[in-house]
Amino acid sequence: MSHRERWMAWIFVAPALLLVGALMYYPMIGTIIESLYSTSFINPVPKFQGLAAYYKILADPIFGQVVWNSLIWTVFVVALQNVFGLLVALLLNQQMPGQGLMRSLVLLPWVLPGVVAAILWRFMYDPQLGLVNSLLISLGLIDHGTAWLAETSTAMGSIIMAAVWKGFPFSAIVYLAALQTVDQEQVEAAKIDGAGATRRLFDVVLPGIKDVIAINLLLTTILTFNYFDIIWVMTNGGPQNATAIFPTQIYELGFGQFRFGEAAVYGVFSILVLALLIMVYFGVLSRGRHRGKAS
Amino acid sequence: MIRNVMKSAVLAAATAMFAAGSANAEQVVLKFWDNQRAESDFNQNQQNALKRFEKENPEIKVELTTIPYSEYQQRLLTAVQGGNAPDVATLDQIWMGAFAQAGAITALDDQVKTSGLTGDTFFKGAWDSNVSDGKLWGIPINVDVWSFTYYNTALLKEAGVDPASLKTFEGLKAAAPKLTDKSKGRYGIGLFGHKGEDTVVVLDTFIFSNGGKVLDEKGKCALTSPEAVGALSYLQSLVPYAPQGIMNASSATMRELFLNGSLATEFWPALEQPTLQKSKLDWDFVVGNAPEGKTAIGTYGGWNLAIFEASQHKEAAWKLIQFLTREDVNGDVVELVPANMKAAKSFLAANRKGADLIIPHLENASPRPLSPRYLEVADIEVTLAQDVFSGMDPQKAAGKACTAIDALN
Repeated sequence: MSHRERWMAWIFVAPALLLVGALMYYPMIGTIIESLYSTSFINPVPKFQGLAAYYKILADPIFGQVVWNSLIWTVFVVALQNVFGLLVALLLNQQMPGQGLMRSLVLLPWVLPGVVAAILWRFMYDPQLGLVNSLLISLGLIDHGTAWLAETSTAMGSIIMAAVWKGFPFSAIVYLAALQTVDQEQVEAAKIDGAGATRRLFDVVLPGIKDVIAINLLLTTILTFNYFDIIWVMTNGGPQNATAIFPTQIYELGFGQFRFGEAAVYGVFSILVLALLIMVYFGVLSRGRHRGKAS
Repeated sequence: MIRNVMKSAVLAAATAMFAAGSANAEQVVLKFWDNQRAESDFNQNQQNALKRFEKENPEIKVELTTIPYSEYQQRLLTAVQGGNAPDVATLDQIWMGAFAQAGAITALDDQVKTSGLTGDTFFKGAWDSNVSDGKLWGIPINVDVWSFTYYNTALLKEAGVDPASLKTFEGLKAAAPKLTDKSKGRYGIGLFGHKGEDTVVVLDTFIFSNGGKVLDEKGKCALTSPEAVGALSYLQSLVPYAPQGIMNASSATMRELFLNGSLATEFWPALEQPTLQKSKLDWDFVVGNAPEGKTAIGTYGGWNLAIFEASQHKEAAWKLIQFLTREDVNGDVVELVPANMKAAKSFLAANRKGADLIIPHLENASPRPLSPRYLEVADIEVTLAQDVFSGMDPQKAAGKACTAIDALN
């Protein structure tokens, strides 16, 4: 590439770089700077305080709870969403009547707005009138209604179920697309060699889509870590902070209590986790690309 | 001849256009933000009142923006931070201290002095909710009081409970088991403890009625006093008679249960009446509840009108505030109770059941703590309520809350 062509390339790339810089990096850097200042609505003139807000938040037991909740929330939602997504994709990948309709119906929870899904699940979990309690009582699994969203022991599990229901179609569609690229000759060859369905799944199909699985796991991890609407509508991060995760805590501190500096500290921790995940994402992507070139 | 007529017409039209143009140039456009209300009648009445104001003040045009409560605080905050604040807006009583300390709104002491407007025109607690650091930051437009004890007449009759007994702590506690039959899905008392201001106002009502306070005169936490802890213990003793899921339930959740006949009693402000009036339920209410021999003291809720510091039209904004809080207008522009006491009397007589019970309860209610850090205090109070409802020792829960509140200062 000549000197002139390099300049031209930079000129063409510049608008996109400026846009990304202004819309993504400027607020991110602003958040980091804000976390070093004591700023709130009632003290709008920023006062430099260094890492004082970090020490304060690290010493607060709520921070530990938020980290733990975020970990449990992310791990379980991602794991269950991907397992269900894969199972549904395997099912939809079979030749069967009404396949097109089934694929459309499976997508329904995913296309619902998060707030609508959350309201729906709130009704279903209602301790007095909810469908979940009625069903469990009629099956004889419980003898009286449970307040799923109001008990610290059940609230997190309940919102995880709702989020898995809302998110698994995304994984199912991604895996369905990947399954259709699996080499059918290899599958047939394994069948002729006497491999059963389970053996074919683990030795032929899953290795064939493992890069897609890795990327989908990472994407759903990032999306899940950033989830806000379902939790906020269903529990507001309660009861007793049992379902508070980073986004809900940032919103509560920033917009509920006007404590911008402390909200920014939570934001910085959130950025660090996401940066780490994005680095892993690009690592997986480039490994997949290298493998593609090698083969 | 025709040419002359045409010349005259063009000249007249040009003169009219010039006159209109200069009138527009002089006209002040006042940006007024208000919390959005659901009632279409209210919206129409508000529009009519603003038209009347514009007619009385042709040099002022009011641009009204209504915003749902859930977004209102955030929109105001963003507008203030971004330098796009309205000229005048309604502010929740609990935001006044923070907006004043942030320098977002302007003190109105001078305007009040010049205009001759006095505090005794309004309910005292509503007026006081505008005072911070010895200055007056707003004028109350509406008020209400949490809470009245609403009851389902049929359920009380069936259980043999005298409604008058609900006025005392002891009476309510004695009635609760009679009104509760979980096998039939019936509950005596609608407690709620979700993260919301309704949780805080009901908690405060029980504390105030038992002689306690949230903050003392020096702004220190007073929740560990025997009176406050007594109120918390009392609330905890009512948990077995409440529907399940207290910690994620709101007053709206309880409304559903009350309206479908599953709940015998509930704590609401006077504002709940229009909803109940639309139902087929046979309902009534008693004034608050307090220990035997004490008077029930409610917690004030309501909105104030404030002028923003950045406004270029403070004089016009003040005219609008005076207009909206006037005796003959105030009742048309509120959904709660007019803050103007004379307007309140006629409003309540026309729109609410038991006006004679509501007014004294409004007159002796207490405001929530008037602190610039109120929102943080309220968040701690929600945690306190949840701790108490989940079974923590009330003294210990109050101690935990006080540690958190006193650490704010």
